[in-house]
Amino acid sequence: MSLDARVPIGPLSEKWTKCKNELKLVSPTNKRKYDIIVIGSGLAGASAAASLGELGYNVKVFCFQDSPRRAHSIAAQGGINAAKNYQNDGDSVGRLFYDTVKGGDFRAREANVYRLAEVSANIIDQCVAQGVPFAREYGGTLANRTFGGVLVSRTFYARGQTGQQLLLGAYSSLMRQVERGKVKLYSRHEMLDLVLVDGVARGVIARDLTNGNFEKHAAHAVLLCTGGYSNVFYLSTNAKGCNATAIWRAYKRGAYFGNPCFTQIHPTSIPQHGDYQSKLTLMSESLRNDGRVWVPKQKGDKRRPEAIPEGERDYYLERKYPTYGNMVPRDVASRNAKAVCDEGRGVSETGQAVYLDFADAIKRDGREVIRQKYGNLFHMYEKITGENPYHTPMKIYPAPHYTMGGLWVDYHLESTIPGLFVLGEANFSDHGANRLGASALMQGLADGYFIAPYTVGHHLAGRKLPKVSTDGPEFEEALRAAKGRVDRLLKINGKRSVDSFHRELGRIMWDKCGMSRSEAGLKEAIAKIRALREEFWNNVKIPGGNAELNQSLEQAGRVADFIELGELMCRDALNRRESCGGHFREESQTEENEAKRDDENYLYVSAWQHQGDDKEPTLHKEPLAFESIHLTQRSYK
Amino acid sequence: MGWLRLLGKEYLLNWLIKALGSSIGRKFVMGLTGLLLIGFVIVHLAGNLLLYVGIEDYNNYAHALHSKPGLVLVAEIGLLALFLAHILIAVGITRENRAARPEGYQMRRSKQNRTAATPSALMFVSGAILLGFILLHLADFRFHLRNPGPDGEEPFAKALRLLQDPVSAGVYFVGSLFLGWHLVHGFQSVFQTLGWNHPKYTPLIKKAGVALAVVLALGFASFPVWAMLKKYGVQL
Amino acid sequence: MEKKLNLTLKIWRQKGPQAQGRLVTYPVQGVSTDASFLEMLDVLNEELLKKGEEPVAFDHDCREGICGMCSLMINGQTHGPDRETTTCQLHMRRFKDGDTIVIEPWRAKSFPILKDLVVDRTAFDRVIAAGGYASVNVGNAQDANCILVGKESADRAMDAAACIGCGACVASCKNASAMLFVAAKVTHFAELPQGQPERYKRAQAMVAQMDAEGFGGCTNTYECEAACPAGIQVTTIAKLNREYLKSSFAYAEESKSSEGEG
Ligand SMILES: Cc1cc2nc3c(=O)[nH]c(=O)nc-3n(C[C@H](O)[C@H](O)[C@H](O)COP(=O)(O)OP(=O)(O)OC[C@H]3O[C@@H](n4cnc5c(N)ncnc54)[C@H](O)[C@@H]3O)c2cc1C
Ligand code: FES
Repeated sequence: MSLDARVPIGPLSEKWTKCKNELKLVSPTNKRKYDIIVIGSGLAGASAAASLGELGYNVKVFCFQDSPRRAHSIAAQGGINAAKNYQNDGDSVGRLFYDTVKGGDFRAREANVYRLAEVSANIIDQCVAQGVPFAREYGGTLANRTFGGVLVSRTFYARGQTGQQLLLGAYSSLMRQVERGKVKLYSRHEMLDLVLVDGVARGVIARDLTNGNFEKHAAHAVLLCTGGYSNVFYLSTNAKGCNATAIWRAYKRGAYFGNPCFTQIHPTSIPQHGDYQSKLTLMSESLRNDGRVWVPKQKGDKRRPEAIPEGERDYYLERKYPTYGNMVPRDVASRNAKAVCDEGRGVSETGQAVYLDFADAIKRDGREVIRQKYGNLFHMYEKITGENPYHTPMKIYPAPHYTMGGLWVDYHLESTIPGLFVLGEANFSDHGANRLGASALMQGLADGYFIAPYTVGHHLAGRKLPKVSTDGPEFEEALRAAKGRVDRLLKINGKRSVDSFHRELGRIMWDKCGMSRSEAGLKEAIAKIRALREEFWNNVKIPGGNAELNQSLEQAGRVADFIELGELMCRDALNRRESCGGHFREESQTEENEAKRDDENYLYVSAWQHQGDDKEPTLHKEPLAFESIHLTQRSYK
Repeated sequence: MGWLRLLGKEYLLNWLIKALGSSIGRKFVMGLTGLLLIGFVIVHLAGNLLLYVGIEDYNNYAHALHSKPGLVLVAEIGLLALFLAHILIAVGITRENRAARPEGYQMRRSKQNRTAATPSALMFVSGAILLGFILLHLADFRFHLRNPGPDGEEPFAKALRLLQDPVSAGVYFVGSLFLGWHLVHGFQSVFQTLGWNHPKYTPLIKKAGVALAVVLALGFASFPVWAMLKKYGVQL
Repeated sequence: MEKKLNLTLKIWRQKGPQAQGRLVTYPVQGVSTDASFLEMLDVLNEELLKKGEEPVAFDHDCREGICGMCSLMINGQTHGPDRETTTCQLHMRRFKDGDTIVIEPWRAKSFPILKDLVVDRTAFDRVIAAGGYASVNVGNAQDANCILVGKESADRAMDAAACIGCGACVASCKNASAMLFVAAKVTHFAELPQGQPERYKRAQAMVAQMDAEGFGGCTNTYECEAACPAGIQVTTIAKLNREYLKSSFAYAEESKSSEGEG
C-alpha cells in the first residue's frame, strides 16, 4: 500500500482552503443517520465529539476515567500557542509555522503544520467564547507570555492551569451535547479492539471497567483521541492511566504507526527518589528563565550545595551554549544533564540529578519577585521533596513527557484504515522530532474543533457505508479476541505483579531508548523486551476475575501492549541512524557531541505496518518535502 | 387590585411553591422566617426589659398590647405561621440531609480550625431545645396551663410569679442561652443564604451576629435570674 | 532526612456496589517519609499481591493534584490533614511512626461505592450537563479580544473555575451537599460576559439537577471550604444563592417549542 498523505496541491497557504472547498458534505438531514465513535475525552476527543454533536451526528464518547473531565490534558500547565499577534511583536501564521517546523527539527509534514498555525487563532476565539478564563490585562484584553525557543509572545494561559481550563471548556461543550442527546458518554470504559468491516473502521469492542462487561459498538467512523504513550517508560510526567492500548490494537488491525521512536524528554522534572516511586512531576520550563543549572566540577562531590564554592561549580549549559545558556531547547538541556550525570557528577543520593539554582535570581530581584513568578511551583516542589527552594537549589532531572510519534495519518487525519481518524497526541502529529512548549494543546484543539469535523464528513459522504450489525461476524471475531486475551491474562496466575513488569520495561526503555540511543543498545533492548514479553505471558499474576472492577487486570492489558510497543520504538530508533530532535543516535553526532541530522537519508516519516505477532513489521516511508523552508542544522551556541 | 394579584396566586404563591420545591428555595424561606423571628425576639426583649424599669411601666405596656385583641390575634397567627414554617422546613431539610448520606463514616474530623461542637453543626439540636423552651413559655404565659394565677393578676406580678417557678426559671435560663447559640450561626447564615457574602462586610456581619446573640441570650437569661434573686430576697 | 515509618492502616474493603463492607487492618512496614500517600498504598498493594490477596482498589490518575480523580477520607478528613492538598499530593512525612490511619471512601447517596475506595461520581457530570456551559457552537466565535473582561472579574472567574471536581466538598459536608461544586461553576460563568445570556437558566437548571441527584442542602457549615483542595471559597455559594434568588424571579421556563426546530 502506498502512503498517500492526500496533501492538496497548490501554494502552502492555500492548501487548507482548497481542501475545505473540495471536501464532500453530508446534508443536514442526513447527519442524524450517522453514528460516530470517539475514543478519548481529552482536548482532542472532547472538542471533536462536541463539534460533531453540534453538527448533528450521533456521537458516543469513551474514556477510562470516571468523568471525561479528567483526561490527561487537564494536567497541562504552561499555555497554548496561537498566532494572534495581539502583542504587535511581529507574530504571524508564517512565523508560528516556521518555529514549529524548526523546533521539530524538520521532521514534520509541512502542510499539516501550516494548517495548524492557520487555525490556531480560531482556537483562542472559540475557547474564549466558551468562557475559558484566560489571563487578562487590566484593560480587559487577553494576556500573553513567552515560551522556550521562540522570539514572540504568543502563549495564552490561565494561571498554571491552562490545560485544565481548556479541557473544562471542551468538556462543557461536550456536556451540552450530552444534554441535547447528541452525545452519549461511556466513562469507565476501555476500548479493547477496533472492528473493521470490509476494510473500513466500523466499530469497537469496549470493556465496562466497573463490571467487566464486554460491549460491541458499531458506527460509521471511529476517532481515536487517546493521548500519548510516554508511560512506556513507566516513570513519566503523564498520568498513571495514560496508555497506548487503543492505538496499539488499531495498529495490529492495520493502521500504520508513525515515528514511534520520537519521544520528548523534558529537562525539568523532580528527580526520582525511591524505588516505590510511581510518577515524575513536571516543573515548568519557565523556571529556566531565572534558575541556573549546575553540577560540581569534581566527581562524587558529596558536599551540600551551599558548601561548594563558586569556583568549583560547573554551569555547564552557560559554558557550552553561551548564546542560549540555560534556555536551550528541551532536548539539548536533557541530553546535557544526562551527560554530566553519566560522568559521575550528578547530585543527590542517586547521582541522577542536577541543580537548578535560584540564589542569584533571588539576590538580583529579591525573594518577593521570585515568589510572585514561581510561588506555586516552589510550593509544589517543597510539598513533594520536603526541601525549600528559596534556601537550597532545586534538584531536577529529565523525564519522559510527550510522544511525537503515534498512528500515521494523512492530511485528513485519517489513518491507513479508512474511517479510522486519529487526533491529538495519539497521531504522529505535527511536531516532527521535537515539540515546542504550548503546542500540544493547540494541536489537540485544532484537530478536534477545526479539522476532523470537516474531514470526517468527507469520509461519511464520500464512501459507501452499508449498515452493519454488531451481531455480524467481524464484531463476533473481535469480541472473541478481546475476551480471549483477558481470559488468557487471568489464567497465567504466575508470580510477578503487573507493576514489576512495567518497571522493568521502563528501565530498559529509559536506558536504551531514552535520551541517547545506540545500535548496540537498541539491539540489546529488543532482545531484552522480547524476553520480558515471554516472561510476562507466563509469569504475571493478576488477582481477581473479569466480572468486577479489577485495576490489576486493566493495567495488565496496558502493560502487555506497552511491551510490544517498546519493541517497535527500539526498532524504529534502530532504523533511524541520525540524530534529530528528541532522537539522539550516538553514532550520529558532531565533534562537539551535538546532534547531527542526516537529511540525505532520513528526510522521511517512518510508518510501520504490523505483519503478525511474531513477524517483523514492514517499514513504509513518507518522504518529506519542504517547499517553503530552507533546511538548516540547529545551533544554540 | 393588581397588587393583590401580584401578591397572590399569580406571583408570590407560585414563587413560594416553586421555592419550597428546591433545596435553595427552602433555605431562603428558612432564612427569611428566621430573620423575621429575630426581629420579633428583639422587640420582645425590648418590651420585657421594662420589667427593670418599673412595675407601672411594664403593666402599662402589657395592657396597651392587650387592648387591641384584633392586632394581637393577627400577630399571633403571623408568629405561629413563621414558627411553623421555620420548624417544618427545618425538620424537612434535616431529614433530607440525613438521607443524603445513608451510611456514615467510621471516623470523622473537621478540617476547619475549630473545636468539635459548633453552633452550625448543631442547629437542629439547639432549635429543638429552643422549641421545648418556647412551648413551656407559651404554656406558662399564653395558655396558663401550669400555675394558673388568680384572676385579675397584674402582668408584672404574673411575670414575677411565673419566673420564680424553679422549673420554668431553669428552663428559661438554659433556653435563653441556646437562643444565643442558635443565633450565633443563624444570624450570619441568613446573609449567606440570601447571597449577601462580601469580603468587606461578612466579617462585620459575623461579629454583629455574635454581639446580637450575646445580647439576646444574656437579656433573656437575666429575667429568671432576676426573679430568683428577688425570690430569695437578695437586694438588687 | 528520609525516614521509615511503621503504620497500621484500617481500610474500607467492599467487594462491590451491593456487598457489605468493613474496615480491615493492615500493618505496613518501612514506608518512606518521601513517598506520597498513594505510593504508600501502591506498596501495600504489592505486598497484598505477594500474599495472594486482592489489592485495594482506589481511584487516581494524574497524581499531580489536578485531575480530581483521587479521593479518600483519611482519618476522617477529606484528602488527609493538609489544606488545599489532594490525596495524591499528600506525603508520608506528614505522619509519625506508629500512627494508625483510617482510610474510607467518599460517602454520599449520590456517590455510590463501586468497590473498596472507588465511588461513582457521575452525578457531577449530570449536574454540569444540566447547564454548566455557554451555548456556543464551533464557528460562532468572534475575535477573542472583542470580549473584554476586566482583570478582577477574570481572576474571580478563574478562582471559581479552578474546581477539580473531586467531590471532597460533598464528602466532607455533614449533609453531603454539592453546593460548593455547583456554586463554583455558576460563579465562573456569572463573572464573565460569556456567561450572561444563560445566566438564570443555568442557575435554575443546575440546582434542579443537583437536587434530583439526591445531594443534601447547604446549612452554611463551611466544612466544604476547608476540605476543598482547589481553594474554592464559600463566597461562591452566596453568589449561587443570589443568582438563584434573582433567577427565580427573572427566569420563566422557556416554551418547549423553541428548541430542536429547523
Ligand atoms: C505535565 C504535563 C504538562 C503539559 N503541559 C503542556 C503545556 O503547557 N502546553 C501544551 O501545549 N502541552 C502540554 N502538555 C502536553 C499535552 O497536555 C498533551 O499532549 C495533550 O493534552 C494530549 O491531549 P489528547 O486529547 O491527545 O489526549 P489526553 O488528554 O491524554 O486524553 C486521552 C483520552 O483518551 C482516553 N483513553 C485512552 N485510552 C483509552 C482506551 N483504551 N479506551 C478508552 N479511552 C481511552 C482517556 O480516558 C482520555 O480521555 C503537557 C503534558 C504533561 C504530561
Ligand atoms: S490523582 Fe489527579 S488529583 Fe489526585
